[in-house]
Amino acid sequence: MSTKVKNIVLTCVMGVFFFGLAFFAWFKPADDYSYTERKTLKSFPKITWETIVNKKFMTDFESYTLDQFPMRDRFFKIKGGVNLYLFGMKNNVRGDYNYYTEDGYVSEVEYPMNEGSLDYAAGRFKNIYNMYLKNKNTNLYFSIVPDKNYFIAEDAGQLSMDYDAFINTMKEKTDYMQYIDIMDLLSIEDYYKTDTHWRQEKIVDVAQRIGEAMGVTLAGNYKENVLDHPFGGVYYGQSGLPFLKEEELVYLTSDVLDNCTVKTYDKNGKPISMGIYDMEKAYDKDPYEIYLSGSLSLIEITNPNATTDKELVIFRDSFGSSLSPLLVEGYAKVTVVDIRYMNSSMLNRYVRFNNQDVLFIYSTLVLNNSSSLT
Amino acid sequence: MLFSSIPFLYYFLPIVLIVYFLLPKIFLKNTWLLLASLFFYAWGEPKYAILMVTAITIGYVFGLLIEKFRGKPLSKVFMISAVALELALLIYFKYANFFVANFAALTGMNVPTLNIILPIGISFYLFQILSYDVDVYRGDVPAQKNYIYLASYVALFPQLIAGPIVRYKDIEEQLISRNHSFEKIALGIRRFAIGLGKKILIADQMSKFCFTFYQDCDDKSVLFFWVYAIANMLCIYFDFSGYSDMAIGLGKILGFEFLENFNYPYISKSVTEFWRRWHMSLGSWFRDYVYIPLGGNRVSKARNIFNIFVVWFLTGFWHGAAWNYIIWGVMFALLLLVEKLWTLNFLKKSKVIGHVYVLFVVLISFIFFDATGIFENDMKESVVAIGSLFGLGGLPLVSAETFHYIASYAVLFIFAIVGATPVVKNTVLKIKSTNAGEKVINVLEPLFILGVFVIITASLVDGAFSPFLYFQF
Repeated sequence: MSTKVKNIVLTCVMGVFFFGLAFFAWFKPADDYSYTERKTLKSFPKITWETIVNKKFMTDFESYTLDQFPMRDRFFKIKGGVNLYLFGMKNNVRGDYNYYTEDGYVSEVEYPMNEGSLDYAAGRFKNIYNMYLKNKNTNLYFSIVPDKNYFIAEDAGQLSMDYDAFINTMKEKTDYMQYIDIMDLLSIEDYYKTDTHWRQEKIVDVAQRIGEAMGVTLAGNYKENVLDHPFGGVYYGQSGLPFLKEEELVYLTSDVLDNCTVKTYDKNGKPISMGIYDMEKAYDKDPYEIYLSGSLSLIEITNPNATTDKELVIFRDSFGSSLSPLLVEGYAKVTVVDIRYMNSSMLNRYVRFNNQDVLFIYSTLVLNNSSSLT
Repeated sequence: MLFSSIPFLYYFLPIVLIVYFLLPKIFLKNTWLLLASLFFYAWGEPKYAILMVTAITIGYVFGLLIEKFRGKPLSKVFMISAVALELALLIYFKYANFFVANFAALTGMNVPTLNIILPIGISFYLFQILSYDVDVYRGDVPAQKNYIYLASYVALFPQLIAGPIVRYKDIEEQLISRNHSFEKIALGIRRFAIGLGKKILIADQMSKFCFTFYQDCDDKSVLFFWVYAIANMLCIYFDFSGYSDMAIGLGKILGFEFLENFNYPYISKSVTEFWRRWHMSLGSWFRDYVYIPLGGNRVSKARNIFNIFVVWFLTGFWHGAAWNYIIWGVMFALLLLVEKLWTLNFLKKSKVIGHVYVLFVVLISFIFFDATGIFENDMKESVVAIGSLFGLGGLPLVSAETFHYIASYAVLFIFAIVGATPVVKNTVLKIKSTNAGEKVINVLEPLFILGVFVIITASLVDGAFSPFLYFQF
């Protein structure tokens, strides 16, 4: 190819690329929501004299063009691929988030250990203890769910927290509770590749260990059900990493669970009936929310087939959503509380603490970033 | 508006180019470029677009007056008035906060701060207007009668906010007549792609590295500070030279020829040579409009030393209204003086020492310069960082965390270090020197540039962009 022809080819190729993408961007209908990123997308901003003078229009327009750019999911993956495979980086950094992959498992760097956050979390637990649990004939248990970094960060050459120090710190700060160690029961295969969470079908032994520590025997006979919908976890779109595949999401059912009645409360304190599994969530932004409908502040599960009148109160984060149903078998009633979505000072409106087992189970992710605990 | 943004690349630029190439006459093209440039500027600074138009009008009116009274004392009066007015604008909008703060600190008086927001690119466009009026006075160029032509020169968006400082006399004829060809457009696209790649794929990554590394690292070491300093040095070069490449490339697409602004400065063997390769348009501006009018080197040694210090004090101060920039400039004055008086010949002949010396002093100087803003112009922080390079502060030599970051960014560092030298350019030229090689390069070039743009677009869509460091100057 002569230089003259090359110049024409280069101009034409780039012209087609630029103007093609530009026209596509201008005329493509705007999307409302990105399921891969799990976020609402910006719509075209309002133009007023005020928004122009204070530059809000410009800032919003910039966000709009980024959100509505054609084939943006593909471009994310190209950028992630370039970082990893061209520049040989270990991470794909997106804003404040720092993703990596090891053996197909995606995770976000969680480093360093935030002692202030552990202090705060322990302070919130102690506060609940002082307000509701002290001298109430309750049996208190505490357990920590390791995040995926515990298993893969070091092998992936990532900075990794000292998890032993992490757990010891939390144990010392919660010495009024019995610690239940579940770390040895877990491995990276017990987690979803594209999500932060563990797989419910892989944690039956975890439930049994916790049950045993609380003096409850759990048979753990469940039927595995595969969601008829592919599951792309939170990292599937957000990490911007290429070559990720959607997974199968499994949920466990049993006669005991099928017969349970489940209720939550609306903003006005009015009870609302629900199920252990919310199948509508399977087609919503986060299918992992099928487990106890995801981020609800307070749920009561009543087990009519229980052979005991024991009650359990679980203070939990999202890892507890899939675990809690597996503990139901051993109790007449299980109350699941998420103090990220409910101020703990309001708890006594819904729960009367007396003669119960109380389990605090939190992931290292929430404990290390605990400002949302109330 | 940033070149490295989706609104610029996929909204503003396509519209500008479509209309520009559809318009038949140069006057219409210039008028369109002026309107587009004003929109481009107002996008980032709606209020300050009026300031820029005012400055252009001052330059235009005084240019006409200087020419009208050419050969008469009034011509000089108008030239001095124009320079004074333009400098007054610069001093007020760029330096007033600094002067007031220092006056308050010096006297202990409670002087209210002015909180004047620095108009983007003011140092660049006012220097262009100022040099235009001086050039008209000197008779180097005739005054431009057409306001639109002068305004489109000053406001021309490719070079408006971060240079290079294009002189009116260098593009005077191009404003009236310029040709467009596939060759120029292709060269412009290539240059623009290289500049955008330098900015987004290297400078922004290095900037992120500096910030992440500096802020997140809990286990700092001597090696940590060396790696930070090298990343900082590469970041500044790729950011600024990338912008210049983009400006030159866009200029070519629009038919203009801007002078080069960088010529692989990190391969210099002396600081004297470094400044002939770094921000060349600023260096030559200060030479022609400050150093030579002060007498240059055709004066006594003492006066020459004084001239050098004045020029470098101003060069430092031009970069920012803060003491770290002044010290940065004066530091270069001292180094240039030492070279001029004693070491330049030795450095020129040296094979290794000169390179090591330049890289070392520039590395130190850019910690003071703090373009990435990590130290927020706090010189104490810069001094601590420099001290840490030499083990002060009781730091260990290495740490595990430092190795982690180095391992993650090693390939990028190699790309950046090689890219800061002419190795790639020379290799391509060597391959192109044969017929077969030229054909291969001609086939690969469009694919390479397309690939670069795809990656750049991917990075931009990912939101991984940051403002150009030189906007603040």
